Amino acid sequence: MSASAAAAAGGGTLAARAPALELRAVVKAYPGGVEALRGIDLTVAPGELVAIVGPSGSGKSTLLHIAGTLERPSAGEVWIDGRNAAELQDGELASLRAGSIGFVFQQFFLLDGMSALDNVANGLLYTGTANSERKERARELMERVGLGQRVAHRPAQLSGGERQRVAIARALLGRPAIVYADEPTGNLDSHAGAELISLLQELNREGTTIVVITHEKSVASAMNRQVTMHDGLIASDNGQERRGRWR
Amino acid sequence: MEVTSRLLPADIFRVGSIGLRTRRLRAVLSAVGIAIGIASMVAVLGISQSSKADLLAQLDELGTNLLTITPGESLLGEASALPGTAPKMVARLDPVEQVATERMTDKTVRRTNYIPAAQTNGISVLAADPNLLSTLNGTVKTGVFLNRANSRYPAIVLGSVAAERLAITSLEAGPMAYVDGRWFSVVGILDPLPLAPDIDRSALIGFPIAEELHGGELDATTIYVRTDPDTIGDTRALLPATANPENPEEVAVSRPSDVLEARAAAETAYTSLFLGLGAVALLVGGVGVANVMVISVLERRSEIGLRRSLGAAKRHISVQFLSESLLLAALGGLAGALIGTLVTAGYALARGWAISIPAYAPIGGLVASLVIGGIAGLYPAVRAARLSPTEALRTV
Repeated sequence: MSASAAAAAGGGTLAARAPALELRAVVKAYPGGVEALRGIDLTVAPGELVAIVGPSGSGKSTLLHIAGTLERPSAGEVWIDGRNAAELQDGELASLRAGSIGFVFQQFFLLDGMSALDNVANGLLYTGTANSERKERARELMERVGLGQRVAHRPAQLSGGERQRVAIARALLGRPAIVYADEPTGNLDSHAGAELISLLQELNREGTTIVVITHEKSVASAMNRQVTMHDGLIASDNGQERRGRWR
Repeated sequence: MEVTSRLLPADIFRVGSIGLRTRRLRAVLSAVGIAIGIASMVAVLGISQSSKADLLAQLDELGTNLLTITPGESLLGEASALPGTAPKMVARLDPVEQVATERMTDKTVRRTNYIPAAQTNGISVLAADPNLLSTLNGTVKTGVFLNRANSRYPAIVLGSVAAERLAITSLEAGPMAYVDGRWFSVVGILDPLPLAPDIDRSALIGFPIAEELHGGELDATTIYVRTDPDTIGDTRALLPATANPENPEEVAVSRPSDVLEARAAAETAYTSLFLGLGAVALLVGGVGVANVMVISVLERRSEIGLRRSLGAAKRHISVQFLSESLLLAALGGLAGALIGTLVTAGYALARGWAISIPAYAPIGGLVASLVIGGIAGLYPAVRAARLSPTEALRTV
């Protein structure tokens, strides 16, 4: 796959490439004075597998929305794949999401009216790719995540673990610079959850940059780097030292 | 990868039809309102045009060159009579092609002599020329019309309404009718005569036998004249003086086809009323579509959020819901045009008319439903696009 090839080629020069995600002094305040984020600095390099952990209310969901350009910060800068999201209009932000960002949600958000294949193919719907090519690439990717036998199934006919794998395939189809997974195991039993974690690990080994938002310690510990959030601030980040080394 | 957020035209249709494909019953029900509106408008226009076309075809067949001459009133307001020479004088005019005379008798016709003479059923007994039927382009439903032979004998021909009122529908049993103390055999029953509805309600007997009953000469009450269609206006102006040279002002000339044309025009007046009702139905259908679209946007918030996260710009979201609304309305419009056409066809066939639907009815109906669909979808589409992605994703 070209994704893994790219990772192999870029493996030695991680520091030379723009970070997949860079947050600079990001603040998010809501009307009424609630400050969900109180100054976040975070850099995710290409190829990283990061867990953002924290209790509910710690601001990790807000962080995901801002890092995913679904919401704008009150202050600070959001850089994705070398582009400053603060400078972009709605259409340009949409382009950024279409090309550089993948999302995996706790509730899967698959469309009931269409097959698993079409759901995966939707990952390229807003990129101007022709339907036939979308489907072809979706089929390849589904084979890779072990859903080759589920191509024609409707979401309602799939197990929770399979649905989440369909959602992951959809997020990966456009080969985004970064994939955000928001509590990806939240609606799965422990067995399906464990399988999903190993899939994420495998995809990361092949070169995909993945940020997992979770409140489960077991999920977080399966990732290479853990960023802990508390009250809108980063409490700890065990990737700091390593990043220092790259510079 | 450098990507620009866009939606291919083929995908607009695909995305716009998702709501309809996944919620079919709702789509059908909400399209029904528009379908009813369009169907009623198409059917009203189709039926009125078919009926008008039929009336005009009938007119063509009957000819518009028929004039009738009747005695008018004298200057003092008294009923006048046509001179006995009138039919011959009129026939001498160059453009006149055919002349037939009808003379009113004071007799009544009854089924039997047991029925009181006062009970006439509104049927008058007329004495008619043998060529009256051909002059009126009429036909017999059964039997024969008066001719030179049976005109001298007690033979009677019934108009279509008269036959119905006397309950004589066939000649098989050799029906008889009782006129002024004598039994007449019914020799023929006429088809309706649109140009001379009076004759429908009459019983016709020959001149010779009528004069025998009357005991003297009868005055002509109506002279039917077929003229050269090109000079009908001039001929019409000549007729009063020709029929009654002494008192031309006591002669009334009319053109029966004018009445039929007026009837065709009158039916158009009803058409606009029904069209208005159809427009109201269409409007209500549009409100129904708007309602369904608003609900659809509320229900599909998470889908909207997902699409935004997949890279849909605001305009793509509004295009999706607008195209869904347009599709819904187009579906209703198509179904309506089809139903309206079928209703028209069914009605026309039942009436024995030729089917004639003005092309602008189904086309205009489709355009109208698209306009309605666009208006109905506008507000929901804008609302869907304005929804913030995070808010849309929060709902489950």
